[in-house]
Amino acid sequence: MTCREMDTVIGSHSGDSTLPPEAARHVAECEGCRLLVIAFDTANNGLVPSAGRLKQIQTAMVESLRPVRPLASSRVYLLAFTLISLAVVVLGSFLLGMSGWDALSKVQRTIVFTALTASAILLAVSVVRQMAPGGKHSLSPRLLPIGILALLIVVIAAVFRVRHESAFVPDGLACLRTGLTYSIPAAFLFSLLLSGGAIMYPKLIGAAAGGLAGLIGLSVLEVQCPNLNEYHILVWHWGVILLCSIGGLSLGAAVEYTRRRGSHRNSRI
Amino acid sequence: MQLEARPSAFPDADLEHLMARYQQADPAAVAALVERLSPQLYRFFAGQLGSKADAEDMLQDTWLRIHRVRHTYRAGHPVLPWVHTIARRVRVDNYRKRYRISSREMGVDVLPECPVHNGETNLLPSFEELVAVLPESQREVVTMLKVDGLSLEEIARVTSSTTGAVRQKAHRAYERLRNLLEGVPKCPERTLTAQPAPQGVTQ
Repeated sequence: MTCREMDTVIGSHSGDSTLPPEAARHVAECEGCRLLVIAFDTANNGLVPSAGRLKQIQTAMVESLRPVRPLASSRVYLLAFTLISLAVVVLGSFLLGMSGWDALSKVQRTIVFTALTASAILLAVSVVRQMAPGGKHSLSPRLLPIGILALLIVVIAAVFRVRHESAFVPDGLACLRTGLTYSIPAAFLFSLLLSGGAIMYPKLIGAAAGGLAGLIGLSVLEVQCPNLNEYHILVWHWGVILLCSIGGLSLGAAVEYTRRRGSHRNSRI
Repeated sequence: MQLEARPSAFPDADLEHLMARYQQADPAAVAALVERLSPQLYRFFAGQLGSKADAEDMLQDTWLRIHRVRHTYRAGHPVLPWVHTIARRVRVDNYRKRYRISSREMGVDVLPECPVHNGETNLLPSFEELVAVLPESQREVVTMLKVDGLSLEEIARVTSSTTGAVRQKAHRAYERLRNLLEGVPKCPERTLTAQPAPQGVTQ
């Protein structure tokens, strides 16, 4: 047995249990592992809170005890996020037309909308799992929004080509405005859904929910805007997600700051 | 040997049942939950702070916060990661509050007393002294593994991370501690606590 394999045993070994024979043999020969096992055996040193404090906590909790309705399941929230996203994209396509969709080739359409759908699903799952404390994450919620922003840059750069564009800024600003027009109401609806959960890390969930709202704006633009210039899409379409993610992050930071101020005031009273 | 297969400190099905009764406003469930989970939460705070009074305050804060967000517990989900995520958040908030206060205070250095050493166990630094040399993220993982008895998967849920990332942190921490312990002098000069890692709190 190697020290690396021994790590698994050390992690799961508690002071009152005996080591498996193979691990015991290794510990007898390896000074580092032996000392580590001994040092860790002192970890669970029977510290307990005072009975008086526990009584105080119980009394405070029982005094304000009322039945509560548990948070709906993740599936219900995922369905709600999906319905909101689809409704906004369909509404945008209905009101603005589908010239962008028509301008795209079959391959471009498949790649772009597959990437957008996959990104939206990943972000929605991450947001829903963050609504209740202790959710399981197969992808780090910290890295996911950054990863999706990067993935979309790669997709846009791979699928579109640079073309001449006479009114880069005015056309772009119009697209940015359109994208945000659809992203902001979606973000508002998302925030209503999120208000039912316990948000432990508002900045993280803000960035993810903002990113999701931005993806909706980007999807509306891809359906509506016939401009296939790579720079136009990279700056003005992708910019919608970036702005929305930053907006969500900033709102999350504001929520965190307000909470902190609140708890600081309470502690002074 | 899979670390993830290790049973939790409490039978979780039982805790899940208690949580469900707590959500239905059963006072007996409140008492049972507080009694069963408080020692573990207390060690979670005391193990990283060292101050028992602060640990008790944070324990109380944690229960009040749990009470406020008890509706967010979903039936059938593991209770320990849910509780520890809230406790971790309380610790982060408390750290910030303490930092704000301490930044306005003048520190007075007090040299730690040398403990009396009786045998091999006492020649080694205590668990708290030992993990103090680790970076915060590794210290947190080791404390949750060894003091709170959480599994790697549970820690991954608490830290909004992946099991692989937590396993990696634990391996790095053990490697570092092994190297340090092999170099521990026989005379107790508290070498390990001479320059502890910054006591920051990771999110």
